[in-house]
Amino acid sequence: MSLRNTLLLCFSGWLIVITALHARMNPESMRGMEELLRSFRRQKDTVSTEKFKIGFLPVTCHLTCPVTDFINQQVTGQSTFQPVRFNSWPELKESYLAGHTPATFILAPMAIALREQGVRIKIVYLGHRDGSAVMVHKDSQIFRMEDLRGKRVAIPNRYSNQRLLFFRALKQAHMTIDEIELLEMPPPDMPAALYSKSVDAICSGEPFMGQTELDGYGRVLWLTKDVWPNFISCVLAVRDDVIQTRRSDVQALVDGIAKSGKWLDNSMEHRMSAAQFVSKNYYMQDPRLLSFVLSKPPDRVKYTRLTPLKPDFEEIEQLGKESGILQGTAHFEDYVDPSFADVATEHAEAWNFEGPKP
Amino acid sequence: MSTTLAEPSKPPTGQDDPAAPPTKRRDPHSWLKIALPLAVVALFLFAWDTAVRISASEVFPRPLDVARGIRELMQKGLLARYIVASLFRVTWGFGLAVVVGVPFGLFLGWFGRAYQAFNPMIQIFRPISPIAWIPVAILWFGITDLAPIFLIFLASVFPITVSATAAVQNMQPVYLRAAQNFGLSRVQLFRRVIFPACLPQIITGIRIALGVAWLVVVAAEMIAVNSGLGYLIIDARNAGKRYDLVVAGMVMIGLIGLLLDLLVRRLETFDEVRWGYANQ
Repeated sequence: MSLRNTLLLCFSGWLIVITALHARMNPESMRGMEELLRSFRRQKDTVSTEKFKIGFLPVTCHLTCPVTDFINQQVTGQSTFQPVRFNSWPELKESYLAGHTPATFILAPMAIALREQGVRIKIVYLGHRDGSAVMVHKDSQIFRMEDLRGKRVAIPNRYSNQRLLFFRALKQAHMTIDEIELLEMPPPDMPAALYSKSVDAICSGEPFMGQTELDGYGRVLWLTKDVWPNFISCVLAVRDDVIQTRRSDVQALVDGIAKSGKWLDNSMEHRMSAAQFVSKNYYMQDPRLLSFVLSKPPDRVKYTRLTPLKPDFEEIEQLGKESGILQGTAHFEDYVDPSFADVATEHAEAWNFEGPKP
Repeated sequence: MSTTLAEPSKPPTGQDDPAAPPTKRRDPHSWLKIALPLAVVALFLFAWDTAVRISASEVFPRPLDVARGIRELMQKGLLARYIVASLFRVTWGFGLAVVVGVPFGLFLGWFGRAYQAFNPMIQIFRPISPIAWIPVAILWFGITDLAPIFLIFLASVFPITVSATAAVQNMQPVYLRAAQNFGLSRVQLFRRVIFPACLPQIITGIRIALGVAWLVVVAAEMIAVNSGLGYLIIDARNAGKRYDLVVAGMVMIGLIGLLLDLLVRRLETFDEVRWGYANQ
């Protein structure tokens, strides 16, 4: 057979086979393509009735997102929204900006900065309270904040609250930011960096900090609850236009998150159960890791008192300005819509769900 | 006439020397072709294992851990799913790059003015890493398969275009003069002379581009897709201390890359391509 015929035959055959296999083995990919094609055809102004997508990362700060989805599916047979897992902050933010995920869990200072830059974003609920830590190598001679002088510390992102946390902790220790070297690093890379001692301390949300403790080379320098009680790292943000056009869906989402938060903080059995089903179905992590960070100690991360409060955000604004990431042009009323949280706090009870036994 | 007709049916001997014996002689050292690379692989695995053992690293996996990781992925049915997803994206991205890149490259090579106009733009786009295109891909294609396909297309279309352009530009003028003497029409000239003359170089470009397309699969699957070998690596980094799966993903990408290269090399055994190498 000639080269042309062989190529045409082999390539078209392969194209059909691999496309059919992909459609069969990864059906959710094909559904995504169908949705994209539908969205091209749909008029921009028409109100969508599809489930809306929520961006999240596999971290404990966003745990209520998969928990709500899972319990919704178990209790009612379907979920009211579709969680979309990302692997890093930039992709999560870009998908939100492009309108593919109209709601997302996002770093609080990043949400405020986006509002300052004119993005239609409203914080409707908090993701959690506390839930971050500063870890050092177990062999290191760092035991207090002052020992970090001249040391290299990894933080997740310049817009992360962990960076602001350092500004606050430095102030408390009468130190300045020039006395330590802050380095931006994706949290999944932090444990290896600490293990190889390429950084002296790491600070991010869980479970990456707990992992170093679990694996035996990390030591807690301090947990956020020791330095900044009721610390907020991530919030649930929704686009302005979605709030206007799909109020009841947003309310159902916030109610669901509130119920999940109360359910998680109700008992240790619930947390252990969540560690199992979230690790297996959403985070693809070893369940031991989530079990560890959700229980050692139990108040390492909390999922109640999630209504956005003005004094908390004013403090973030102030620290954001001092650290140079915020201009101070957007205020609480501009970027927070507390109405959903008010309703949820009043009505939402913990899920009546026992969950699979660990 | 009969000899020219008989020639293509002859099995390829892999030798261009007309004085070569007609019967294929078995190379007594043919086992070395397999044994030598295997020995290098074994040596590499031994060195890797020894290095991890000496350093007593708790983070870096040993070869056996990686093999167990691959077995775990197979048992969960993830390995086949991920391989299919990555191959699907690379097939479409790379296929589109060939369909666009080859005709466009030939066009630029033939029309000097078009080359002058487009070449600077191509050279500007060519060195931009696909990672830099991720925000654009998300903006245009959302979090669907189209985004990684677009990134793979971008990574592979430029090497193909450039090689097709260079192939036309480097073509020996004697072919064209001979064709003109025979009074070929433009379409005939293209089909019977230009394209066959350029084919060996285009195939070389395609081979390089396929390597590049497979290379960017990790970057392309950084977008929120939930399958693929690139996704496996990124996902395993998120999954605590599962560096065995990170390396398992690397091993699978490497092995499939080797298979793809072997397949493209088969193209070089066709007469339409082989003559180009013989000329060199």
